[in-house]
Amino acid sequence: MYLNITEVDSALVNLSGAYPSLCELIDLPETSVEGVACHALRLRADPDGGPRDCAVFIGGVHAREWGSCEILVFFAADLLEAYSTGSGLVYGGKTFTAAQVAALLEGLDIVVFPLVNPDGRQYSQTVKAMWRKNRNPEYSTGVGDCVGVDINRNYDFLFDFATAFSPLSDVRVSADPCDPQVYQGPRPFSEPETRNVRWLLDEYPRTRWFVDVHSFSEDMLHVWGDDENQSDDPDMNFQNSAFDGTRGVDGDTAYREFVPKDDLDSASGLARHFTEALEAVRGKQYTAKPAFDLYPTAGTSDDYAFSRHIVDPDKGKIHAYTIEWGTEFQPPWAEMKLIAKDVCAGLVQFCADAPSTVTD
Amino acid sequence: MAGEEKILHVRVTAADTRALRNLLRDERLDVGGGPAPTPGPGDERSIEAFVTEEKALGLEREDVAVHVLGDATAIGRARQEEVGTGDRFADPGIVPHGLGQKVKDQSREG
Repeated sequence: MYLNITEVDSALVNLSGAYPSLCELIDLPETSVEGVACHALRLRADPDGGPRDCAVFIGGVHAREWGSCEILVFFAADLLEAYSTGSGLVYGGKTFTAAQVAALLEGLDIVVFPLVNPDGRQYSQTVKAMWRKNRNPEYSTGVGDCVGVDINRNYDFLFDFATAFSPLSDVRVSADPCDPQVYQGPRPFSEPETRNVRWLLDEYPRTRWFVDVHSFSEDMLHVWGDDENQSDDPDMNFQNSAFDGTRGVDGDTAYREFVPKDDLDSASGLARHFTEALEAVRGKQYTAKPAFDLYPTAGTSDDYAFSRHIVDPDKGKIHAYTIEWGTEFQPPWAEMKLIAKDVCAGLVQFCADAPSTVTD
Repeated sequence: MAGEEKILHVRVTAADTRALRNLLRDERLDVGGGPAPTPGPGDERSIEAFVTEEKALGLEREDVAVHVLGDATAIGRARQEEVGTGDRFADPGIVPHGLGQKVKDQSREG
């Protein structure tokens, strides 16, 4: 059965108790809007070692995409059990040796935050299954659809979408507090759930990879989400107001978001490694592609995470991804377990290959 | 839940990319996934969406077809029956296990 919100949290607490030398329970600084305490786990073998590059994984952002939490709990549990027993991991047709598992936990910090939006998940699992946002009632009547903010539109990236995007763009974001799906909130980071994610990236400044687990479409998305990518014109970028009013139109040349070719190659390569490992499990074919290919967006976690080093050169570069697992938000649990196996294999491969992509 | 408005899971198919893009811009649909080419010849593009029955009927037009895939509200209620109750990890000694098989090999030796 799917985990309820109490179980997601107690699963993390019990993992930290069972493997005290391999993981640390992280108290996120803010409770959810409805007062639920949030936890993450940091996994690392040889805890007395020096600083390391870090990969941050988050899930449970959109309330109705239930399986994201289970994927990350299973991912952490698999790595911890395999390492502690000197074992490898087998997911269907995909095998990782014990040495690969060990190298991963001895070479990286892995931070797993499986349930960013506990209030929304609780509401979706007990009242309205299709609920997506958090449960903040503050910005409108506080009734019906006029509750909640889409956490994955609440990050600080092209937040003023009405200015930044073309009126011809079908950018998937709304300034209407009664929009049932994609209300962005009154300002960037207005929500405690979003601020918790930012805190993790600040608290682990050596974060080089960030993965936000969502559903659905069987994709592994990399930057950018506001427009198509280009690597020829550095001036055509999200900070340049000269391009306001032109962003987010598919197939035009008026605006495309700049990403250095090396970064694009690294991002797309690692995304493909994820999909190849996933396919080896039982043949499911996910597509590695830029997030804009799904639909244009503003204020998403992946674009925010990658943009941080551009906005503030003192911050490290974070290659950022969004997984869209499965073909429905809430598959039957038996099917969800198969999907979780697929995605866990992809995540282990992602972590195994990520360090080799570091060139700076 | 009594009184909850029925939401349908539908596939919306438009004659081409432009028709679908115009539809998405004008109708603000709750979509799952992104636009995809429709199998077979032609330029048709489709997308899955979650809409009320009334909205589904309103989407039909000359260059747009709507195919109902299921009753998302009923499916959601059924899935809510597959959510754990209580706390299966209330005992701190109960440790969650992942879905990967743990297999001993020689790769960490030596």
